[in-house]
Amino acid sequence: MRPILLQGHERSLNQIKYNRDGDLLFSVAKDKVVCAWFTSNGERLGTYSGHQGAVWTVDVSPNNRLLATGAADNTIKLWNIKTGECVKTWENPTAIKRVQFSEDGSRLLAVSEKRMGYLGTIVVYSINYGDDLTEQSDEQDLKITCEEAKATVAGWSYLDKYIIAGHEDGSVSQYDSKTGETLLNVEVHEFDTTINDIQFSPDRTYFLTAGKDKTAKILSSRNLEILKNYTADTPLNTAAITPRKDFVILGGGQAAMDVTTTSARQGKFEARFYHKIFEDEIGRVRGHFGPLNTIAVHPRGVSYASGGEDGYVRMHHFDKSYFDFMYEVEREAARK
Amino acid sequence: MSKVQAREWAEDVSDSEQINDPEALPAPTTVVNKDGTKTTITYRIDDSGRRVKVTRKTRTTIHREKVNPEVAERRAWAKFGLEKGKPQGPQPDTTSVGENIVFRPSRDWKSVQAAEAKDGGGKAEEKSLKEQLRDKKVKCRICQGEHFTARCPYKDTMAPVGDDNTPAADPLAEDEDASTKNASGGLGAGSGGYVPPHMRKGANASAGERMGGKFERDDLATLRVTNVSEMAEEQELRDLFERFGRVTRVFLAKDRETGRAKGFAFISFVDRSEAARACEKMDGFGYRHLILRVEFAKRTG
Repeated sequence: MRPILLQGHERSLNQIKYNRDGDLLFSVAKDKVVCAWFTSNGERLGTYSGHQGAVWTVDVSPNNRLLATGAADNTIKLWNIKTGECVKTWENPTAIKRVQFSEDGSRLLAVSEKRMGYLGTIVVYSINYGDDLTEQSDEQDLKITCEEAKATVAGWSYLDKYIIAGHEDGSVSQYDSKTGETLLNVEVHEFDTTINDIQFSPDRTYFLTAGKDKTAKILSSRNLEILKNYTADTPLNTAAITPRKDFVILGGGQAAMDVTTTSARQGKFEARFYHKIFEDEIGRVRGHFGPLNTIAVHPRGVSYASGGEDGYVRMHHFDKSYFDFMYEVEREAARK
Repeated sequence: MSKVQAREWAEDVSDSEQINDPEALPAPTTVVNKDGTKTTITYRIDDSGRRVKVTRKTRTTIHREKVNPEVAERRAWAKFGLEKGKPQGPQPDTTSVGENIVFRPSRDWKSVQAAEAKDGGGKAEEKSLKEQLRDKKVKCRICQGEHFTARCPYKDTMAPVGDDNTPAADPLAEDEDASTKNASGGLGAGSGGYVPPHMRKGANASAGERMGGKFERDDLATLRVTNVSEMAEEQELRDLFERFGRVTRVFLAKDRETGRAKGFAFISFVDRSEAARACEKMDGFGYRHLILRVEFAKRTG
């Protein structure tokens, strides 16, 4: 497996995302630039410039027409993917930490930071895909305010029925996506440890959370029941579910502020592969010089990419040994 | 891609110009070889003004892939932003290929890792021994001060403390024990008089033992090898035994007059476990037509 190194950013990566077809990869970092890459050869398609601060989050619309980004300059921007133009900017009182398009792409949620007297919120906008992409409504469709602990990450469940959010206190909540009503709130990770990432399965019926308490958990979208638990030996920044093979990839490492005081070997800057069902660690992939901030998996499960504190995106196309690996029971089941 | 452009550029140069300029470089040529590869020869002038001929062999492999029409359409999109106007294909400043990574998922990854850690642990132990040695303070054999014996201000006035206890050579010796012994016997501070060398180490040390004593200080990890060939060399023995661990000393008894080996030798290891392994493996080993007998050295007397 020869990774392709993408050096489009000068500062640490915040999020990377594949589009639905898996031919494009989008990356955002603390250096204000949004990059689009072809996944087949690592060629950079272009950059989207306009943000005035660190870009925290990115998402691609399912029809590959719009790109949404949220940044520390308190704005959510929509971009025309093909031309690189900014088509819409929504202002917000505080920084945007996470954006995600709904499953059908008709709505966009954004998680805002709790700061300067403003409480953390989750806001939802309607997205219009007419001929003129700049025609977007300024009206907020929905606004959920997190009174207790601010939300750090959020996403849409299956059929866009719920909005599921991870909080800074380690709990996960389920909101009704129509009314914004809180349906469930479950303490999932150790109390007072931030949930750093939430990624959904392809059908969005379950999701994977990555916590600062060194664990990642799979929860059911329907009732927030904990289905699986993966324990690592380092705080986790990100976790992804691999389609095609039943694995999960966890990424983390020493916090950025502690990096200089630990050697690269101790820092544990590796992508860890766990078996999704058996919860065993099955391997690691080295390469980054800093903690892994974000991991994304190709929607068909043929490659994965990781973005690190070191400013690099490493894109790995899996080779045969990855696809061949099976547990005995899996092999037997496959034979039948 | 860039290669092709270079050729086009050269073709653009009009003929007259080329004739007028004797410095002009020959036009690049491309030859298609029999095996389907292409050989491109280009010329350029390097930084120090020399002409350089560059010969490149390229093989073109066509890789066909069926993709969604939308994906194919996106491949043809014009570049924008910072990439605007750049030619097709990955740019070397943003895209590079990393080192190959071997990734083989395995079910007992944890236990393999644990075993490796254990091996690493062994190394760490060795390392710690080194560190122990490094941290060993320099101690004067005459006055116990923190300097080399040769630099001792009392060098010419005091007798040295028994020369069998150089701290650097013997890291396993108990420090306190040795130093107290040295202090009492060496300086002879109690009696104040001169103590002859053979009396310094205690009453039971006989003169005969002192001779061998130099070599038998760490008898715990020392092997006695007998039935050694007369033609044996110290270096050969060292090579034989070094496979089992670090050998600190090889002593091969030799006849003073003939210079031939007397038939026995002592091998000292750093670690007793290594010595034990060597003892087990090398006992009965055929060396120079003779069968070695290896056992732990016994302290005589």
